[in-house]
Amino acid sequence: MAVQVTQAGADTKTGVSGWSLSIAPRRGALSVVEVIVLAACIAAALTMTNRHGVDIMIRTFLWAGLALAWNIAGGYVGLISFGHAAFFGIGAYTSTILLLSYGISPGIGLFGGALLAAAAGALLTVVCARLRGPFFILSTLAAGEVTRIAALNWRSLTGGAEGLEIPAISSATDMVFATQWPYVGLVLSYMLLVFALSVWIERSRYGYYLFATRDNEDGASAIGINPGVMRVSAMALSAALTAIGGTLFVQYFLYLDPTHIISPDISFEFALICAIGGLGTASGPVFGALIIVPASELLRGWLSQSASGLYLVLYGLVVILVILYFPSGISGAIARGWAALTKKKTS
Amino acid sequence: MGGADKKEDQLMLWVEGVSRQFNALWAVRDVSFSIEAGEIVGIIGPNGAGKSTLFNLIAAAIRPTSGDIRFLDHTITRAKPYQVSRLGLARTFQIPKPFRQLSVRENVMLSALRRHRTPHRANRLAGETMEFVGIDHLADTSVASLTVGLLKKLEVARALATEPSLLLLDEVMAGLTPPEVREMMAAIAALPSRGVTVLWVEHVMMAIMNVAQRLLVLHRGQLITQGKPAEVSKDPAVIAAYLGEKYAARS
Repeated sequence: MAVQVTQAGADTKTGVSGWSLSIAPRRGALSVVEVIVLAACIAAALTMTNRHGVDIMIRTFLWAGLALAWNIAGGYVGLISFGHAAFFGIGAYTSTILLLSYGISPGIGLFGGALLAAAAGALLTVVCARLRGPFFILSTLAAGEVTRIAALNWRSLTGGAEGLEIPAISSATDMVFATQWPYVGLVLSYMLLVFALSVWIERSRYGYYLFATRDNEDGASAIGINPGVMRVSAMALSAALTAIGGTLFVQYFLYLDPTHIISPDISFEFALICAIGGLGTASGPVFGALIIVPASELLRGWLSQSASGLYLVLYGLVVILVILYFPSGISGAIARGWAALTKKKTS
Repeated sequence: MGGADKKEDQLMLWVEGVSRQFNALWAVRDVSFSIEAGEIVGIIGPNGAGKSTLFNLIAAAIRPTSGDIRFLDHTITRAKPYQVSRLGLARTFQIPKPFRQLSVRENVMLSALRRHRTPHRANRLAGETMEFVGIDHLADTSVASLTVGLLKKLEVARALATEPSLLLLDEVMAGLTPPEVREMMAAIAALPSRGVTVLWVEHVMMAIMNVAQRLLVLHRGQLITQGKPAEVSKDPAVIAAYLGEKYAARS
C-alpha cells in the first residue's frame, strides 16, 4: 500500500460535541482568534478616514466574501474552479442591465443575478460531471473564457468592449451612494453573511456530506450520499453568492466591461486567497483576504514608480512560500501553533 | 411484487441467475442463492473466482449483465450504491476508503447522519459503534495516521453506523495482526444478535471457517457448492478448486 502523507490540514478537534468557543480556529466552531479578527474588521470600518484606506478596505471585505463563496465549492466539496469570474460577471451584468434597461433596483436585481449564476454553476457541474482534478479545473477555466468572449460579442445586451456605465447619481434605490460609508456597510454585511453561512455549513449535515464527497466519492456513496447532488448544489450556492458579490462590486465602481470583470485573474485571486488563508475552513478565506488584498494594493502603490511589475514577483514569492511551508494556510498554521503552544505548557 | 408469502418475507437477499461479463470473460456466471435474516454467510473461492465481482454486484457498485438481485422487498439490480445504502444494505471496501481530512469520530458519525440528522445526535451512535469495533480510543485522531488494521476496523464501524439490516464485508481480515483478527471475529459473530445479517467475502480461512454459519464456494465465476463450513471443507470439488485435481483424488 502507498505511504500515506499526513495532511497538515487534518486538525482533528471539531465542533461535533456542540457549541464551544476555542482559542484557535477549528472547523465548525467560532474561535477567539476569528472573533477578534472580525471585531477588528468592524472597528476598522468604523474608524478609518483615509479615502484610499477605505477604498482598500472595501475591496478587502468584498474579496473576503467572494473567497468565502469560492471556498464552498473549492474547499468544502473539492470542486476547484478557475472560472468563478463568470459567475461574478453574471451577477454584475444581470443587476446592471436590469437597472439600466428596466429601472429595477440592484437590491432586487442581485437576486436575479444570483439565480442565473446558480443555474450556470449547476449546468457547468452537470456537464463536467465525469471530470476530476485538473480536467475539471481546465473546464472551468474554459467556461470562464467562453463567458467573457460571449459578453464581448453580445453587444446589444452587454455593450461589448465599451462596457456599461451606471450614472453616478446618488440614489438609495439605485444602490448608488455619494460617500464610501454605505458601501463599507454593504460589503462588510456581505462578508459577515457569507462567513456565517460557511460556519453553519461546517456544523450541519449538509456540510459533512460535502466533506465526505470531497474526501472519497465511493465512500460517500456507500453510506447513502448522492455525490452528484452534493457537487451540483455546492457549486450552485457558491456561484449565487459570487454573483451577489459581482453586483456589489459594480455598484461601487459604477462601470463594468468583460475584460476586467470576467477575467481569469479574478478567478485565480479567489482561489489564491483561499489557498493562502486555508482551504475548506470558514476562517481561511477571511485571513487570506485580509493579508493578500491590502498587501497587493499597497505593494502596487509603493513600487509603481521605482519598479512597476515587481509587486507581481513579490506576490508570487509569497504564494510559493505559503504553499511550501503552510500547506493548510494561515488558518491551519494558527491552529497548529496554538496546539504546539498548549502542549508545551502542560508537559 | 404482490403475493409475497411468509417465507419470502424472511429473505434478506435473493440472487437469481446473476451473471457479469467483462469483454469475453464471464467473471460471474449464473449465480443463484439467498440469505435469510440473521445468518452469517461466507463467500470463499480461489483467486480470480469472481468473489469481488459478485460482492460489487450485490453492493450495486456494478450492474449485472443478466439476472436479478432483490434485497428485502426491493429489486436492486439497477440501483445506485447510495440507494441500496439508504435501503439498509451497507458495505466495506477491501481497500479502505476513509474521509481523509476528517477525524475517526467524524468518519463514523457521517454514516449515522442520514437517520439522526444532526452531527450532535449522530455522534452518540458513532461513539457506541466505535466502542463495539474497538476504535473508540482513537476517536479524535486523524484517519491519515491509522494503520491498515485500524482502517479496516474503521470501514466496519462506518458501515455499521448506517444501521444496516445486511452488512457486506469485503476481506476485512487482510492486513490484520492475529490479535486483531480475533477481535474482528468476535465482533462479526456478535452482529446477528444486533439485528445485522452478514455476507462476507474472505481469504483468511481460519476466520471465516469459525464464524460463518454457511459458506458459498465460487470457482471460475460459478457457485460450485454451498453448505456448513465443515461439510464444504471436505467437499472434493472444493479441494480440487483450491489445490487441483491431484490433491482431490488423494484425499
